[in-house]
Amino acid sequence: MSKQTRRNGNSILSALKKSNLTVIGGVLVLMIILASIFSPYFLDVYNLQSLIRDLAFIGMIGVGQSLLLLIGELDLSVGKIASLCGIMSGMMMVHWHWNPFLSLIAAVLFGLLLGCLNGLIITKLRLNAMVATIGMQGVYGGINLVLTKGKAITNIPSEIHFLGKGNVGYIPVPFIFTLVILVFVLFLISKLKTGRYIYAIGNNREAAKILGIKVDKIRIIIYSIVGFISAIAGVLYVARLGSAQSSVGENWPMNSIAASVIGGVALTGGIGNPAGALIGAAIISIIQNMIVLFGVNVYWQSAVSGFVVIIAISFSSLSTIISERKKRKIKLSNLEQNQ
Amino acid sequence: MKVLEARNITKTFPGVVALDSVDVSFELGEIHCVIGENGAGKSTLIKCLTGVYEPDEGEILINGENAVRNKALFDKIAYVPQEIDLFDHMTVAENLFLPYKKSGFNGRVNRRLLNKRAMPILERFHIQADPDALVKDISVSQQQLLQIARATVNDYEVLMLDEPTTSLTTKDTEILFDIVRQIKSENKAVIFISHKLDEIFQLGDVITVFRNGVKVAYSDIKSVDIPWVITKMTGRELDYNQVFYSDKVSDEVLLEVEHLTGERFTDISFSLKKGEILGFAGLVGAGRSELMQAILGYLPVYSGSVKLEGKPWKFGDTNFSVNNGFIYLPEERKSQSILPMLSVRENISISALDGLASKSGISRRKERELAQQVIEDYDVKTPTMEREIKFLSGGNQQKVIIGRSMRCNPKVMVFDEPTKGIDVGTKTQIYRMMKQLAEEQGIGIILISSELEEVMKCSNRIIALYNGRKAGEFDEKAEKEQILSCILGVKSNEKETIRA
Repeated sequence: MSKQTRRNGNSILSALKKSNLTVIGGVLVLMIILASIFSPYFLDVYNLQSLIRDLAFIGMIGVGQSLLLLIGELDLSVGKIASLCGIMSGMMMVHWHWNPFLSLIAAVLFGLLLGCLNGLIITKLRLNAMVATIGMQGVYGGINLVLTKGKAITNIPSEIHFLGKGNVGYIPVPFIFTLVILVFVLFLISKLKTGRYIYAIGNNREAAKILGIKVDKIRIIIYSIVGFISAIAGVLYVARLGSAQSSVGENWPMNSIAASVIGGVALTGGIGNPAGALIGAAIISIIQNMIVLFGVNVYWQSAVSGFVVIIAISFSSLSTIISERKKRKIKLSNLEQNQ
Repeated sequence: MKVLEARNITKTFPGVVALDSVDVSFELGEIHCVIGENGAGKSTLIKCLTGVYEPDEGEILINGENAVRNKALFDKIAYVPQEIDLFDHMTVAENLFLPYKKSGFNGRVNRRLLNKRAMPILERFHIQADPDALVKDISVSQQQLLQIARATVNDYEVLMLDEPTTSLTTKDTEILFDIVRQIKSENKAVIFISHKLDEIFQLGDVITVFRNGVKVAYSDIKSVDIPWVITKMTGRELDYNQVFYSDKVSDEVLLEVEHLTGERFTDISFSLKKGEILGFAGLVGAGRSELMQAILGYLPVYSGSVKLEGKPWKFGDTNFSVNNGFIYLPEERKSQSILPMLSVRENISISALDGLASKSGISRRKERELAQQVIEDYDVKTPTMEREIKFLSGGNQQKVIIGRSMRCNPKVMVFDEPTKGIDVGTKTQIYRMMKQLAEEQGIGIILISSELEEVMKCSNRIIALYNGRKAGEFDEKAEKEQILSCILGVKSNEKETIRA
């Protein structure tokens, strides 16, 4: 066997083993097939477009969230950063009559700052990420209400509506943003030093420090990226609705974490691929879409979708439980044979 | 009467014989001291006697019955570990009686009853703490006593104390000794494991000495003295054909440490020359790793100064230290050194990412070439470079870590217990690597090891630490007994008797 083929074989094999992307991709394909068999409306262009538009938002935040999960942390304030940045953009456009595109860019940069603030608080005050971001979610949500007094900002200039509602060919514009973000993140994790350090930190934080990696700096960078992506999702949602509302993104923190976990990113850090989060988001969106298509009672929808997400998440832990049982069986049968 | 007996037990781990046909027995009403250097087999013996390990050969008898077959017998052995192992956020009384079922509390646990039963026990052990107090709020000394008290709550016949005095004050040590004597008078067997020779002579009735997994001596304590114990512990068979010190020590001073003080070490000064191997000997907990981790910037430094090649040092910044060539290879490979779920390739390249850059980021091709080279140069045995490192043996992990460290342009390399859990053949390979690094590249090497023989085989100079302080400095001609007395904190007048 030549060196070349051996190397390729190894890297493909290990890549498949590590990311589990093939398995999750297979589940996704299976779900698409099942959905199209059970519901004639599923493959309808209009249905698919609205589904993909939904998954674009969970997907882009999920991709960001997966970076945090890779270092064993998470951000529960993503939804509130998104809505706060949406509202900021709305105020700039509508109340202050700024150029709409300039407003969007300013709001997205504001999101970057909020993410950076999260990172600074968590690293410098040595707080637990979950608790700190729950707190920050309260802060950002409170500022939302102060700014809007609970009312939506309407009359968003129509020039930017295509960013949320439009399609390029058949593809919804937000999904294109999601793909660009994914490409950027994949480049970051596989080709840049920062990406390698992310995996190192997630694998073994003490070792990373002893290796001389600036752990806190990397953490702050990731929180900033997550804030940035959340803000993009937030302003695109403003464009989609044509108004800025403080209620946007309520379930984004949970859905983005679920998407990452379904996509094979371990909550404990160090394992997984952000691309998995996008597939996970697609799976969640199809589940929610099916619930609607099957005509499940509106009041039951949330409970059912939560339950199905739990089942989806448990796939990864189920496989560990099963393999542990197998190990036990093998060991016990060996012991019996020896006696 | 023999209550606990090990007959001809052997326990091997891959590449190491931890216990070699050991016979030892413990009698009721007797305090039996067990002593030996690190790696002599004490811990393995404890684990066999408490039922944690099953010996490969031989049998363990408790009251004459085979305990390997009937594990319930091990309940008769009350074991008190060296580290404090209590539930910090529960009360003193709760800690005494957990698990409740075993202590005879059935159904609902009544706090008043719990405290009532705790009072006489606390009094007996002179623990002046409220039974309702949380364990985290009482002193370390009292925690240690509480831990011993807890072991005696249930029915037991043998009390096994593993280095019980390391966190006790002198006064509490006296209290502990009184309690131990009292327990002995109640016709229980006591096994006392300690490195502190004076305590052994104060308390013990008989003594067993271990070396390299073999029981080398057993005696009534009254008929022996400290020099006898030290001679038995060290043995004399250091093989001088097998030495690995550097032959090319330059006069140029590389690292200068002056009056460094941190949490676990006090006023340490030393210097390291180019191409020199400097050994740090001491007991576990003497402060050697903490000292090096503080220089690295991983732990805080309270005062003192460090200079590398004459340049002043920045404390508390591991990035600075690594960039300036101070590399630390941790003792705890699993928790501080490897990136377990990443491949061998990624574990190597993590230290060399700057050198792998191409126009479009990190070059996979260069990364593979580097990994391949390290695997070949350092003789790493792995099926492929994509194998996750956690599946490699300890020795091969260590080689990967040494190999990757060489990519950081090291000037000083600290090897902290580099051969812990590594088989004999690979050990020699690692010694040769250290010698080569020192001689060929002029790297200053600091070797921390709890195996005195290892330090003596490899080091040009040896510094002994005891309890966070420098206890002595030796050249390669030093006698093993001298160093060992320093490590054990034997006072200077006792040292003279050893020489005599």
